[in-house]
Amino acid sequence: MKQTPFHKLTPRAIRVWQLGNAIGNLFFFAIPVVYGAVFGTQGFHFWVIAATSLLFVVLWVLSIVLFPYLTWKNWRYSIDEKEIDLKRGVLMKNRTLIPLSRVQHVDTRQGPLLRFYDLASVTISTAATTHEIPALDAVLADRVRNQISTYARLAEEDV
Amino acid sequence: MYEFQRQHPVAAISRAFGLIRGNLITILVFLFVGARSESFPFLWWIAGGFALLLILGVANWWRFLYKIEDGELHIKSGIFVRKNLYLTKDRIQVIDITSGVIQRLFGLVKLDIQTAGSSSREAAIEAVTIEKAKEINRILRSQKGDGEQINVDENGEPAVKDEIKKIFNLPGKELLIAASTSGSFGIALSILATLFSQIEPIISESELFEYLFGMLPSQTDTILIISVIVIFVVVAWLISFFSTLFTYGDFHLELKEKEIVISRGIFEKKRITVPYNRIQAIHVAEGLIRQPLGYASIHLESAGYGDDKGTGSIVLFPLIRQDQILPLLDEVLPDYQKHHEGIKPPARALRRYLLRSAFLITAITAALYYAFDLNNWIWILPLLSIFWGWLKYKDAAVAWGEDIFLFRSRALSKTTAYIRKNRVQDITISQSWIQRYRNLCSVQVHVASGDQGKSFAVRDLEYDEAFILMREIKGKTELTQEFSDLTEPERWISLPGWPQAAN
Repeated sequence: MKQTPFHKLTPRAIRVWQLGNAIGNLFFFAIPVVYGAVFGTQGFHFWVIAATSLLFVVLWVLSIVLFPYLTWKNWRYSIDEKEIDLKRGVLMKNRTLIPLSRVQHVDTRQGPLLRFYDLASVTISTAATTHEIPALDAVLADRVRNQISTYARLAEEDV
Repeated sequence: MYEFQRQHPVAAISRAFGLIRGNLITILVFLFVGARSESFPFLWWIAGGFALLLILGVANWWRFLYKIEDGELHIKSGIFVRKNLYLTKDRIQVIDITSGVIQRLFGLVKLDIQTAGSSSREAAIEAVTIEKAKEINRILRSQKGDGEQINVDENGEPAVKDEIKKIFNLPGKELLIAASTSGSFGIALSILATLFSQIEPIISESELFEYLFGMLPSQTDTILIISVIVIFVVVAWLISFFSTLFTYGDFHLELKEKEIVISRGIFEKKRITVPYNRIQAIHVAEGLIRQPLGYASIHLESAGYGDDKGTGSIVLFPLIRQDQILPLLDEVLPDYQKHHEGIKPPARALRRYLLRSAFLITAITAALYYAFDLNNWIWILPLLSIFWGWLKYKDAAVAWGEDIFLFRSRALSKTTAYIRKNRVQDITISQSWIQRYRNLCSVQVHVASGDQGKSFAVRDLEYDEAFILMREIKGKTELTQEFSDLTEPERWISLPGWPQAAN
């Protein structure tokens, strides 16, 4: 029996996540700022602010330099007539199998960031859960969506 | 049936009351807050509110039309925004017939037709006569279509009634046990606490409060606090006792050819019809108090909306003796196998189970112990949590058969779930980095239940053995290289382990 190949996400996904994290995680710096506004920046409070700021700077840099790459490296998906198979996770490794007969609907989504890089995500909904293949090339995403919906129609069953 | 018609006018009132009941706590809070500000023409506001509700109710009733045509229910509703709802009978998951106190005064019922996902709550007809409800039910449940005439006996019951194969009742003694060990105790407590926090300022200002305090023997603060707690617990227990009593009183489970009918309730009578092929999963829950007493409750998952918010869980049987579980399941799920050989987490997983349940509790206890210089007895909590972890380990197991999965695990109550393989929406095997080190993993499956689904999971199974479950979902004919390498593990426990009644 032929093994269904597992695909990786496009490497451009790394860029998107880097940009997204760079903007989104700036929010965490609000914590030391608010702390400083409330308690002042003298003595003991100075060290609290310095320590948290340093921690957040390190995390912020890691979330740009390292985490997107690791996430990308660990993402695999495979789709055939019977099921969708997703592998993901860096520290917590997950493997999810969705029988195609259980797929209720599938759609592609494109936020401003993804559009900027000409990417899209594919969202697969069953009667119970929703799964996402993030950051595929927009053309590929459309193809994947159409493929899943064709397979799902073939495997038509009720809830 | 074939032309648009209105509901019974009582719908207008019952809808208004439904709104009041749904927002009871908000309204009570509003009343108490309002009662304290005297500058406010307070009674006028209440009267105005009720008048508005009534007008809305009447308007809703007037604009609500329904008909059945070609086996399809068509509802037009909405005062300003008209909504047209078409419901075909092959989409129906569960049919719910409720008669509240108001409806019963007029011999009416509320008909609730559930489709998949609890966002489809609109298909409810608030007040129709029992005969009409039965006819709608019959038309929507009939397999051949609506044209045929079914003989109706003198009570207005369709003649198909005699297809009832078996009835299970809940004896009074077991109803009382169910009520006194009900899990809704915690919910009652939290509602009570919310109410109390709102009423408390009023009571403490009133003379009644001082009077009550005068009545109590002179006391220290500790005794006062303890007695308040005791009163709270007792009242919460009473609330949960009576609410369970009223909800599950007069309980019957009827098994028919194609569907099961659950009827229950003393004041508000409910009649839930679930076709067998709409059952997504069945799980048996043995609560902390009920399990030692030898009792359990049985629940089913449907894709409609169930007893709790958000999920589609319906109580199939509120309390049953352990040795009666399998005989009952034999009737409800004749095509499921009940017994399976299964696997448990390996012995090296025990440590993780113990750590997981004991770690946090022990840390908190230690912190509190040193911070507040507590009594040594507080250390019984970590001991209990270790015992709890051991129970979780002992109960965790999975089994699989021709077309079924059995998942057994414990949060507080021990849950044994029967899931048909073709009802599994997805299966996930996850492995944290610590589990990877120990070559363990967790398995989780989702089934449809309400609009969110329900998951059943077992933690810390042997990594390779868990993939057997994934292979089972793939179907044995479609084995890929990766899965065909799996060796069949030795299944060394038998699920479920309930005692069987001697025949």
